[in-house]
Amino acid sequence: MDTSVTRRELIGHAARGSIAVAGAGSLLSACGSGSGSTPATTTTNVKARRGGTLTVGLTGGSSSDTLDPNKLTTNPDFGRTAALYDGMVWAQADGQPALRVAEEMSPLNKDASRWAIRLRKGVRFHDGREATADDLIYSTKRCLKPTPGVSASVLTGLRLNELRKLDKHTVELTFDHPYTTFVAAIGGTSNIYLLPEDFDPKHPIGTGPFKFESFTPGQRSVFTRWDEYWNQFEPYVDQLVLLDYSDETSQINALLSGQVDAVNQLSADVLATVTGGGKKVLISPGGGYNPFTMRVDQAPFTDVRVRRAFQLMVNRPKMLEVVFAGHGVIGNDIFGIWDPEYDHSLPQRVQDIEQAKHLLKAAGHENMTIELVTGDIAQGVIQMAQLFVQHAAQAGVTVHLNQITPTEYFGPNYLKWTFAQDFWYAAPYLAQVPLSSLPNSPYNETHFNNPRFNKLFAEANATTDKTKQTEIVHAMQTIQYDEGGFILPFFAPVIDGFSPQVQGMVPSKTGSSFNMWSFQQLSLSA
Amino acid sequence: MTAVAAKPRAAERLRTFKRKHPVFRLVVVRLLIGVLTLWLVSVVIFAATQALPGNAAYAVLGRSATPARLHAYEVQLHLNRPVIDQYGSWIGGVLHGRFGTSLANGESVSALIGPRLVNSAVLVALSGVISVLVAVILGILTAAKRDTWFDHTASALALAVIALPEFVVAIALVILFAVLVLHALPAVSQIPPGGYPWQYPNELILPVATLVIVIGPYAFRITRGAMIDALESDHVEMARLKGLSSRRVLFVHAFPSAIPPVIQVVGLSLLYLAGGIVVVEYVFNYPGVGAALVDAVSNRDIPTIQFLVLALATFYVVVNIGTDVIALLASPRRRAPQ
Repeated sequence: MDTSVTRRELIGHAARGSIAVAGAGSLLSACGSGSGSTPATTTTNVKARRGGTLTVGLTGGSSSDTLDPNKLTTNPDFGRTAALYDGMVWAQADGQPALRVAEEMSPLNKDASRWAIRLRKGVRFHDGREATADDLIYSTKRCLKPTPGVSASVLTGLRLNELRKLDKHTVELTFDHPYTTFVAAIGGTSNIYLLPEDFDPKHPIGTGPFKFESFTPGQRSVFTRWDEYWNQFEPYVDQLVLLDYSDETSQINALLSGQVDAVNQLSADVLATVTGGGKKVLISPGGGYNPFTMRVDQAPFTDVRVRRAFQLMVNRPKMLEVVFAGHGVIGNDIFGIWDPEYDHSLPQRVQDIEQAKHLLKAAGHENMTIELVTGDIAQGVIQMAQLFVQHAAQAGVTVHLNQITPTEYFGPNYLKWTFAQDFWYAAPYLAQVPLSSLPNSPYNETHFNNPRFNKLFAEANATTDKTKQTEIVHAMQTIQYDEGGFILPFFAPVIDGFSPQVQGMVPSKTGSSFNMWSFQQLSLSA
Repeated sequence: MTAVAAKPRAAERLRTFKRKHPVFRLVVVRLLIGVLTLWLVSVVIFAATQALPGNAAYAVLGRSATPARLHAYEVQLHLNRPVIDQYGSWIGGVLHGRFGTSLANGESVSALIGPRLVNSAVLVALSGVISVLVAVILGILTAAKRDTWFDHTASALALAVIALPEFVVAIALVILFAVLVLHALPAVSQIPPGGYPWQYPNELILPVATLVIVIGPYAFRITRGAMIDALESDHVEMARLKGLSSRRVLFVHAFPSAIPPVIQVVGLSLLYLAGGIVVVEYVFNYPGVGAALVDAVSNRDIPTIQFLVLALATFYVVVNIGTDVIALLASPRRRAPQ
């Protein structure tokens, strides 16, 4: 039996403000221009049929499922959160954020350490009350107090006692550092979700497209359409049912026998089974990635030649072919592929066994042996590890796999292993950096700490000039390319399965299923 | 009468009572041993869970476990107290009928797991009853009609099926009846929380069929063997010589002798089912204890793990006592006062 019972996928989303693009046949309402404000986009299909119950089968849940948006850790948690609550912004299909329940988010001063968030007017909670600035202040505070929630890491430096109400719908936030990437940083799981001041997770109320009906952790949650949702067209279905599945086989069986309408996070192996059974698959370009992580502060990876050798040992196209049947994009050991600022001019690394051997010999680590810690933490991770063993053997390196359960993986030893793996979802470069590549990052697997890099990041956060920011990002990416501890063979696709009746499924660069859990965009045909 | 003299009298009475009621004595002794076993199991499981790397706080927070969140969560779950303390407060609660709250989601363990116990119990009971009925009937028939084509076919099929692992049977049934060949039955058992399995008979058909196919053949073979032995025994031959009808010989004289081994098999099958339903529950996503236990271990959810393990251990103890009692009752000779 596979061990994917606790497949936890924290979506380290962040999105940066830029021009957002909507799909064909949709309603566009963009506002604002210039570098300070974020455009808003809504994708709405006015011709969609209303009604019906959308039943979705999700893996990754367990008895620790929650309805509390500040505690979300797994895919089903994220699905529930996206149904019940609105975030300030939300990533769109192109991977960039757009305003959601916030009408405007702009910096109030030159270095963007002060921000104003203005809510849309007339947004109602599920009990009919209008959402106001007081609710937003409460929601922001709740991310940090009494216990730090999921969004705490992107709100460090926020002065809680200086949260100010500017008017009935506007709140001012003050940070003690420049934060031009604030909008990007809260575009995903680390979002500020709008909650009422008297929020009770046992009887959850939000402003999201669906209202709470019932919830049994580890099994199912049921939601009904919120008729007074601020988007007058969405959602389309009457009822949303999210079911927990322990593994892919039962998920697919349920889809094929018609018991569910859609399923998430499939592996490439089952594509033929699903389409052969009369159902459809959506393969999104993703943007998430599962890196191999080398601790740059521990032998043998303190020597950059060893890191380079390891990066050159991998046969990237072959790995992608085996793990995801070729779907996905080849990686170059730096993240943020769909970010407009990604530096595509850096030479693509390819397998070069001779050079790898040469580098290892020069570093005095010829024919070395090393342990790689792996686990079923995300789709394809273990397979990647097994392939790495084979590729490394070609260069004379013996890799011993230490496979452990996901619970153990993210237990006390997480982030301490010399050579391990991890998973990440799509994020623009500057939102990802503080999560994994700074000395105080919560998930710095490689223990990367480059003073020049850190300085560049601070500069990037202090400038609102897009051209300058792109230059800085390119410089940072060059540093990571040259000295980083990641082996990033490819960016993984996101594969969702669905029955032909489900309309509105769009390929997405957000790295999450269902275009970042946007159930409100889905409808059922007759 | 002095107290000293009274004691031997009472002891004498107890000994006589024990001699005359061996069944009662068996049950009492076994129950006491059973309680001791349950307590030992709870200690061992508690120790084993502590030995696993990580704890519930790590498990629930998963990757987003920063030191601040971890510490806050550990305090909330009382995981920062000494281990003996944690065990002590748990067992104290149990003795008062309170099984605590789940470390994974804060709900009451008995409220959350109780229904899943019922679901699994229904699966076990249905599968047990049906497979025993099928096995016994087939066993009697094939023993009576030994060496006919019916006997040979049944035995061959049974032997072939015995070799198949559970998940192969389960998936084969799903392919045949739900997904590829026919679309008659649901591939996954979606019994909603709050519903009872008997309200959704369709969802039970394939899981029960899987379990019957898995344990039926073994029970059938044992029954057949026991019946053949019984039919060849002296007292059955005596009955035949007396001119009794073959049906009477079969059911009144032969079958009762075959009961003890059949009871043993039934007991073994039930015990096997208790563990064996994990695989079936996984394949059918059946909301029972198998998945709940695996999930609880992954989450290091100690109260839930303890509740489930104790429930299973109790089941084992009760079934063991039950089979021994029934076997004793079915053997008048063993029951007779010595």
